[in-house]
Amino acid sequence: MKEETSNNSRRKFLKSFGISVGAAGVVSSFSLIGAAKAAAKKPAEMVNLLTQDGQLVQVDKNQLRPTVNEPLDELQKRGREGIPGKSFVMVIDLSKCRNARKCMSACQNHHQLRADQHHINVLQMQDAEHTAPYFMPKPCQHCDNPPCTKVCPVDATFKRQDGIVLIDNERCIGCRFCIAACPYSARIFQWTEPKDSEKYKDLTYNIEANVPQKKGTVSKCLFSADRLREDKLPSCVSACPNGVYYFGDRNEDAVTNGTTGETVRFSKLIEENAGYTLMEELGTKPRVYYLPPKNRAFEFNGDLLNEENLH
Amino acid sequence: MKNTIKNIAALFLIFVFSGSIANAQGWTVPNSAKKKQNPYEATSKNISSGKKIYNLHCKSCHGDPTMANMIPLAPVAPTDLGSQNFLVQSDGEIYYKVNKGQGAMPTFEKTISDEDKWMVITFLRSFDKNKKMKQQVAEVKNPEVTDVKFELNVNEADKTMLAKLSGVTKKGKRVGLQGIEMSFLVKRSFGYLDVSGEDPYTNESGDVQIQFPKDLPGDREGQVNMLVKVTDDAFYGKLEEKRVVTLGVPTDPVNPLDERAMWGTRANAPIWIIVTFVGGVLAIWSVIFLVLFQMIKLPKLAKNKD
Repeated sequence: MKEETSNNSRRKFLKSFGISVGAAGVVSSFSLIGAAKAAAKKPAEMVNLLTQDGQLVQVDKNQLRPTVNEPLDELQKRGREGIPGKSFVMVIDLSKCRNARKCMSACQNHHQLRADQHHINVLQMQDAEHTAPYFMPKPCQHCDNPPCTKVCPVDATFKRQDGIVLIDNERCIGCRFCIAACPYSARIFQWTEPKDSEKYKDLTYNIEANVPQKKGTVSKCLFSADRLREDKLPSCVSACPNGVYYFGDRNEDAVTNGTTGETVRFSKLIEENAGYTLMEELGTKPRVYYLPPKNRAFEFNGDLLNEENLH
Repeated sequence: MKNTIKNIAALFLIFVFSGSIANAQGWTVPNSAKKKQNPYEATSKNISSGKKIYNLHCKSCHGDPTMANMIPLAPVAPTDLGSQNFLVQSDGEIYYKVNKGQGAMPTFEKTISDEDKWMVITFLRSFDKNKKMKQQVAEVKNPEVTDVKFELNVNEADKTMLAKLSGVTKKGKRVGLQGIEMSFLVKRSFGYLDVSGEDPYTNESGDVQIQFPKDLPGDREGQVNMLVKVTDDAFYGKLEEKRVVTLGVPTDPVNPLDERAMWGTRANAPIWIIVTFVGGVLAIWSVIFLVLFQMIKLPKLAKNKD
C-alpha cells in the first residue's frame, strides 16, 4: 500500500513537471516570437557603414549581428590537419646574414612575444677556436622525426601532414618535457603573463599562430602556419632585408626568397651550395636547411652594441 | 659691370650648392673607382635584363626609377635611382656604391655578379636625359606594329614550349618580332619559378623555344600552371598567357602521418610499441591475478589439510 502511494506521488510529480516544463517552453517560444516581431516592427534606426569596396551604406540597426569569429573548434581542427599536399621547407643562407634582426622583431610582433622571447633567434657562432665566426638565425627545425612530440604526455604538440610541428595551448599542461627533449632549444616557456595578454584576452585562440599566448604553456616557432594558409611567406622570411631566407614546398621542389621574391629550385640550391642541416647525427631530420657562411657579403662584427652592425 | 659680377657670383653659388646636393649623402668614392667604365652597351636586351635584376634586388627599397616611390626609411631614405640628381654620378661611382653599400644599403659585392651589376647600371642610365642619346647603339629594330600577340605551342613529348611573337605592320602584314625577351614561369606556392633558360629571346621569325626542366614536379597528373609573358612590358604593353600544361613529373605527395612512427599520435604508434605495451600490461595483471587466485586458494588448502 505504501509503495503504491509513493508510486503515485512520483507519477504525479513527473506529470506536473512535464506539464510545467512544456508550458514554460511554449510561453518562452511565444515570447521569443513576440520579441522578434516587435523588433521587426520597431521603427528602423539606421546606421551608416562603410562596405569593403568603399561605399557608405545605411543599414537597419536591427539587422546588425556581431561578426562571427572562426570558432575555436574549426581553428583547432584545421590546425591539426594542416595543408594537404604541402611539405614546407626553409633554407637559410648564412653567407647573407648580417644580424639585422628584422626576422626576430617581425616574429615577436606576429606571435605576441616580448623582446626577450624568441621563436627565432640570431646567434653568433664560432664552431672552433680558429674558425671564422658567423651569424646564424635559428628557428624551430620542424624535424621529420621530432623528439619533442614523442615526449608530450597530453598530445599537445604534434606534427601535421605538411611537416609543421605545432603546439596546442589548449592542451598544454606546462610540463616542459618537450623543452627538455628538443636538441635545438627551439621552445620557450611562458613563465609570466604574456605580452598584451589583457589586450588580447577575448581573441579566439588560433593554434596556427599560437596567439593569444597563455601563461604556463610552451610556445615555439610555427613557420607562421596561419600565413601559409593564405599563400604568404612566414613573417621572418618576408621581413629579412638581406635575402637570407628561402621558403617553399619540397613537393614542388621550389623555394622563394623572402626579400627578392625570386623562386629557385630547392634541390639545386642545396646541391650547388652544399646545404646542410643542424645536428643531423641525431637523426631528427630537420626541415630547415643551412647554406654555409662562405664568400660572405659582409664583414663579421660580433659586437652587437655596434650600431653599424644592426642594419 | 656690377651686374656681371653679381651674375658670376650667383652662378658660382648655384654651382657650389648643386655640387653639395649631389654629395648630400656624404658618400665619398675614391677617384680610381670613379673612372671605371661600363663594359656593356646600352642595347635594349641589356636594359631589359638590367630591369629584371633591378626589380629583384633594388626595387624593394628604392621603388621604381623616376617614380620616387621608395620606402621611407629614417634617417636617410633610399634615393630615387632614376632621378637626374643621382644619375650625375659616373658609372664607376654607382658601381662602387652598389658594391660597398652604406648604412641601410647592403653591399652587393658578392650577392650579385659583376655582369648583373653593370646591367642594372645600364638600365638606370636609360633614364638619364643627358647620356641617353649618346649611348644608343644600333641594334635590331622591329617595324612599328599593332595587335601584338603570341601563340603558344606545347610539345608534351619532348617537354618543349614554343612561343611565337608577332604583330601587324602598317601594311596589314603579320610579322614576327625579333630580339624580345620572353619569360616562361611556373607557378609555385609562393612565387613563379623561371624556366626560361639562358637565352629566351625571339629569333628573326619571332619564335622562342624553351626546354622545360625534365625533373620538375607537377601535381598528381604532372600538371603545372604556366605563366608565359613578354618580360618587359615597356615594349608592347602587358602581354601574358596563363595555361595549365602537363609537363611536370607526376608527384604524389607523401603524407608523413601515414607511416607509423614514434612521434605520431596514439592512432599511428608503431606496432611493436603497441604489442610490447599491451603485452606488458597483460603480463603484469595476469601475475597479480595469479597471486590473488593462489591466495584465495590458501584457506581451502588449509581446510583440506584439516
